[in-house]
This record gives sequence, C-alpha cells and structure tokens, in this order.
Amino acid sequence: MESPILGRRGFLRGTLAAAALAPLASCATGGDDATTPTASVPATSAAAAGDNPFGVASASTVEAIIFNGGYGIDYAEFAAGIMGKLSHGAKVTVAPSTKIGQELQPRFVDGTPPDVIDNSGADLIGVSTILDQLEDLTPIIDAKNIEGTTIRDTLYAGVLEPGTFEGKLAVINYVMTVFAVWYSMNLFESNGWVIPKTWDEMYELGVKAKAKDKYLFLWGKEAATYYQELVIASAIKEGGDELRLALDNLKPDAWSHPAMQGVLTSLKKIIDAGFIKPGGSGTQFTAAQAQWSNAQEALLYPSGSWIENEMKSQTKADFKMSGFAAPPLTASPKFPAEALHAAAAEAYIVPSKGKNVAGGKEFMRVMLSKEAATNFAKTKLAPSIVKGVIPADGFGSTALVAQGKMLDNAGENVYTWQFVDFYGMNSDMLVVWNSFLDGKLSVADATAALQKISDDVANDDTRTKIEIK
Amino acid sequence: MKASTAVVDAGPPRRRTRRLTFDKASFMLVFLGLPLAIYTMLVVSPFIQAIYYSMTSWNGFNKNMAFVGIRNYKKLFANETFMKAMGNNIELVVILPLVTIILALVLASLVTVAGASHGQTRGIGGAGFYRVVSFFPYTIPAIVIGIMWQQIFDPSNGLVNGVLTALGLDRFDSFAWLGNEVTAMPVSIFVIMWGFVGFYMVLFVAAIKGIPAEIYEAARIDGAGRFRTAVSITIPLIRDNVQTAYIYMGILALDAFVYMQAMNPGGGPANSTLTMSQYLYTTAFSKGQFGLACAMGVVLGALTMIFSGIVFMVNRLTGGRDEVTMA
Repeated sequence: MESPILGRRGFLRGTLAAAALAPLASCATGGDDATTPTASVPATSAAAAGDNPFGVASASTVEAIIFNGGYGIDYAEFAAGIMGKLSHGAKVTVAPSTKIGQELQPRFVDGTPPDVIDNSGADLIGVSTILDQLEDLTPIIDAKNIEGTTIRDTLYAGVLEPGTFEGKLAVINYVMTVFAVWYSMNLFESNGWVIPKTWDEMYELGVKAKAKDKYLFLWGKEAATYYQELVIASAIKEGGDELRLALDNLKPDAWSHPAMQGVLTSLKKIIDAGFIKPGGSGTQFTAAQAQWSNAQEALLYPSGSWIENEMKSQTKADFKMSGFAAPPLTASPKFPAEALHAAAAEAYIVPSKGKNVAGGKEFMRVMLSKEAATNFAKTKLAPSIVKGVIPADGFGSTALVAQGKMLDNAGENVYTWQFVDFYGMNSDMLVVWNSFLDGKLSVADATAALQKISDDVANDDTRTKIEIK
Repeated sequence: MKASTAVVDAGPPRRRTRRLTFDKASFMLVFLGLPLAIYTMLVVSPFIQAIYYSMTSWNGFNKNMAFVGIRNYKKLFANETFMKAMGNNIELVVILPLVTIILALVLASLVTVAGASHGQTRGIGGAGFYRVVSFFPYTIPAIVIGIMWQQIFDPSNGLVNGVLTALGLDRFDSFAWLGNEVTAMPVSIFVIMWGFVGFYMVLFVAAIKGIPAEIYEAARIDGAGRFRTAVSITIPLIRDNVQTAYIYMGILALDAFVYMQAMNPGGGPANSTLTMSQYLYTTAFSKGQFGLACAMGVVLGALTMIFSGIVFMVNRLTGGRDEVTMA
C-alpha cells in the first residue's frame, strides 16, 4: 500500500477534532504587540486658563462611549452640543453601548481605549481591574464650570467618595441615586395606610395588605438583590459604620453581625408569612415591577430612584409614586432614622491611554455645568450630583420631590457601600437572594452563602482589593 | 500519521512512483496549504493562546499576565459553583441529544414509512403538512425562542399557568416553572428540544428517503411491524446520520449559552441551570478574571473532545464499522 506523507483522511480528522475545540477561541485576544502606546497628550500649555483648563487641542475630536440604559444617551449628546460651541470647538462623538465590558475589553488590552466612558449597566468593567489605567479626575473638580463656579462647590455632599480609590478620584459618578422603598401615595391614602417606620410595622402592614388580597412585596429574578440592598441599608443604619466597614472590607463575620441577623430575621418572618408574591424567581424583573406599578398586586418595592423613569410607561395613571428610607431595626439605631442610602451612579471614567485625555476631561467639565445638569434633571426626572437645579415642583414628578425631601432630611447622614459592585459579586448573590425570597433558605443558610461569596474574594490573592475607610 | 511516516523512513530506498509536478504542488498549496494556514491562524492559534492565558492571572483589561501555572485549574475544581455548572452540562449532554434524537426519529418515521400498512410505503396522512410545521421552530433565532418561552412560563401571566389554572389546577397559580429548582432544568431541556426537533427530523427524513423502498416492502412482507422496522431497518441504515446528529446536539448541549442566558440569566434557582459557558462569561466580564475564565474554556473544550470521542467509540463498538450494503 502506498503510504502518503500526509494522510489526507488523518489530516481532515485532526482538523475536525480541533474544530470541536472552537469554544476556546472565545477566550482569545488579538495579536499581542509588545509596544504599548505612550500615555496621554502633553500636559497643559500656558494658554490653558479658565476657558480651556485642560488645554484641549482646538477642533480635536473626543470619543465618548455612553452606557445606553435607563437614562439613554441624549443627555450626553446635549453636553456634546454645548462643548462644540466652546472656544476650542472640540467635537465629541457620542456612541451608545449596552455591553461596556465586552465592547471595550479588547481596546483596553490594546491600549486604545476611548477618551471618556460611562462605565455602567450589568456588563460594566469592574473598576478594580482597570484602576491603574484611569486618570485622576481631581483637576476637573477643582476647575471652574462653564458658568464660572468651581465645580467642587456645586456638588452634593459625599458624591466623590465612592469614586475615590486609594486617594485617586478615578470615577465621577454623575447621577445621584436615592435608594428607598417605593409606594403609591394614592393607594396608601385611599386605604388609610401609613408608612412603616420599623420592621414590625412593616409586618403589620403586610397583614393589612393580605386582608385586601394584596402582597407586601414582590420581586423579579434578575432584581432579587434589590432586597439585599434594602437589608444592607437597614442593617447599616442599625449597626453603623462598624458593620459598613466589615462588609466593605470583606471581614469574615460581617454577615453574622447582630444588626444584619436582626434584619434578615425580620425579612424572613415576612417571607414565611406569605406576604411576598410567590413566583418571583421565575418572573422577568420588569414584568414583576409592572405587577407593582400597574396591577398594584403588591404595596412596596425596594429600588433605586431610576424606578420612576424605568416604569414610566407601565405605571398606573394616578399612582403618585413616593418613597421612604429603609427602616432601622430598633428605636435606637446608630445612624438616625432619616439617614439615607444614596450613591452617585453612572460611573464616568477617563482612561489614561485615550487619544485625547484632555478632551475627555473637558467633556466631564461640561457635563458638570449647570446647563447640562439642569437639562439632565428636567428630562430624566432624576437629580445629577450637581445640586440646586431642581425646582420645588420637581418638574411635576412626585418621586423627584420625594427624593429631594429624603436627601434634605438626611443631610450629612448619607451612606453607601461598594463591595458588591467593586468585586462583581452581584451575579453570585442573585442566586442566594432568589432562593431566600422563595422561602427555600433559612436565615442561617443565607448568611453562610453570602458570607462565602465574600470570603472567596477575600481569600483569593490574585484579586486586587481596596481598603475602605 | 507518525506511524506512516516511520514506515516511509524505515523502508528500503525505492523510486518515488509519483513526482511532485507543478499541478500537484499548486493543487496542494491552494486546497490544503491555504485552508490549513487560515485554520491555524484563526482557530489553532487562539486555542493555544487560550491555554496559555489559562495559566495566568490575567484580568483581561491590561497586558499584565503573571504566570501562575495550574493554579487556576486547582481553583476551578475546588469551586462548587463551577462543578455544579459542569454537572448541569453533563446532565444536558446526556439527556438532551437522547430525547431530541429519539423524538426526531419517531417523527421522521411517521412522516416517511410508518403510514398505512397496505399499498406503497408511505408516511401518515398529511405528512407533508407535519413536516413543514415541525420545521418552523428551527427558523426562529435561539434568543427569540428563549425569550418567548420565558414569557410562556411566566408564573403570573404565562400561557402555561393560565391554561393549568383555567383547568382548575389551582396549585399552579404563580408556580415558577423556571424559578423552581426541580422544574427549571427539565423545562429548559424541553425548550431547546422544541427548537431542534424539527431540524433533526428533516435530516432523518432525507436519510430515510435514501433507503430503497424495496427494503421496507420486503420487511413488511416478512411481517415486521412499525417498531421492528424502525429498529431493525431504519436505524441501522441511517446510523451515520444519527451519529452526526448526536455529536452536533451534544456540542450544543455543552454550550447551551443562548437558551440558558435568555431564560435564566442568573443561572436559575440555586444554579440549577447554570452552564459552564455562562459561568465563564460572568467570570471574565463581570469579575475580571480572564485567566480563570480561559481555564474554564479549556475544560469545556476538553469535555467536548471527550464527548465526541465517546460517541465515535460507542458507534464503533456497537457495530458501526460493519458495512451495511443496500440492495
């Protein structure tokens, strides 16, 4: 028999086998060029003064990638429009993205990221992974806005802390998000219900709701962790900074803290009493939210203040949405009862390796101007981090008025935490929360599972960790 | 390949019977060399890259790739969630191809040879209609299938619970088919099967049409019933198609990303429908652990190879090598 040098069949079979391995290709990068482009544009020239503090090259272009979620991208386009009219005439191209992480990952590896990014949404880039590739944005805060006021003086209290990592302001969160328990003022008034101030009153309200054939809460599978937000907000209000720091710094017994256990037990009591609409773990979250805002099958829904905008088209006509801060556990919590979980969100970053770093910063300066911030509040019915732009009637939104009131009542007592997003734990936590709300886990089981998620990160020395103070 | 090279080397020197002419060389270059080069560049090299990355602690967003050896693999096999996901994939790969192919074979037999038992061999009445209708699901994109069935199984407003509660089965009021640990996986398997059964039916119909009708007639004259005909005539004669279908369906089951991501993006209740590909995705993109994610990809690739190997072996051991001649 003739034996060919390269067996044709064998060759084909080999390639077929290799083809079976194609899933692997999903993990690959492009070519690996050793040279990384040197960072950024030369620093500011002498000309860089009030009008152009970062020395943007005239008529240069700026690439902005904006997360296209609940707030859309038109507010960024509005800011781009303002920027085009400034003396340097830099042109901003605003492009939407819903998959920030996947779309920009290869560009970060290549060293060719865009100039400014709104790093938000379910597929955002974990800040810990790119921290060393981001510009310090402190100069923007110290610059004057286009109306001539120093930007630092125009911002709400505490909005910069969540974006500050190891002394570097790497992220400017643009939108002020108030976390609360939302309800229909109309429904509460017509039934003579009052807002629960403690978890016991919450339970009482559940009994009353049951009598009217309604549930106290409901949830959707992708948003089960909204209840985790409520629980943590309530537990920190009760347990104070001690608990907040234990959670944020991934301490091994954080979830066993008495305040946390107390709140979890109170929620478990509500779950076991059947006050939560069953089936949430199989319901898409916006469908579930519509059962609250439109069908009014449940009284309360814990969420961020984006909820009004998100459910706009699916809210009952005379709903009159309002909200209240997470209740404390006892009558003497560490933080006052008015304290509020609020955090600035929509994380804007300027990568150091962008082509036009000065342009990226300039775009942020324009976004923080009074003109752009007013436009944002008016069109999105949500406050940005720039204060003093919302009129008393909240542009006709009861929820926006409620947010203003909650923020005013809280004053300096605004708190938040970062460990969930910073380490990308949400996907693991969703599983636990769906089971817990479904009544399948005891408080001890849920505690153990949530603690394990935290411990796994804490014990993994390949992951960058930050210390929160 | 090695063995054959050795034969050439070890054998006594002899005159090459075939010379490498220009024709032959250019033919080899264009039809063998070029595809091989493209294949190496686009498939093999990323594959090797992925294996390398799987041994680093690369976070995916920079060029720092610290070499950590097999630590990622150790971490993987000690990770409960990953093992759970692997178990789910294995469950899928065992059940999904089996039920899909059996159902597709039954349907294919019905519309081709299992019709009236007198006269010409033919399918049941209205076979053409059923053939077309059962192919419909395959024309719908996977993501649409996932979203559609998620709505159908919605606890409060879904069609399934609507029908069941209308029939008086009150315990299905707000029953979360996709949110219950016991039902989530079977329901997901059903949905994927629904999407593919029509395609494999058409594949098998074509194969069965290639079998001469005389064989079926002879079997019928000998007194073989429909089941006997299917087992002793149809399956042995189309076993190559069945094997191909099994491998395709198995590879799909090892992935299953789109369906699972559409129906249960979080991995389902207690991770009961989480697949390796979904876990790979969150590990890479939301946790920023590309090295670890690549290790998952390598494991997934190895499992796929093992699966294909098993199918080939089973087919061989059960007599797939025997030549089946027709007429």
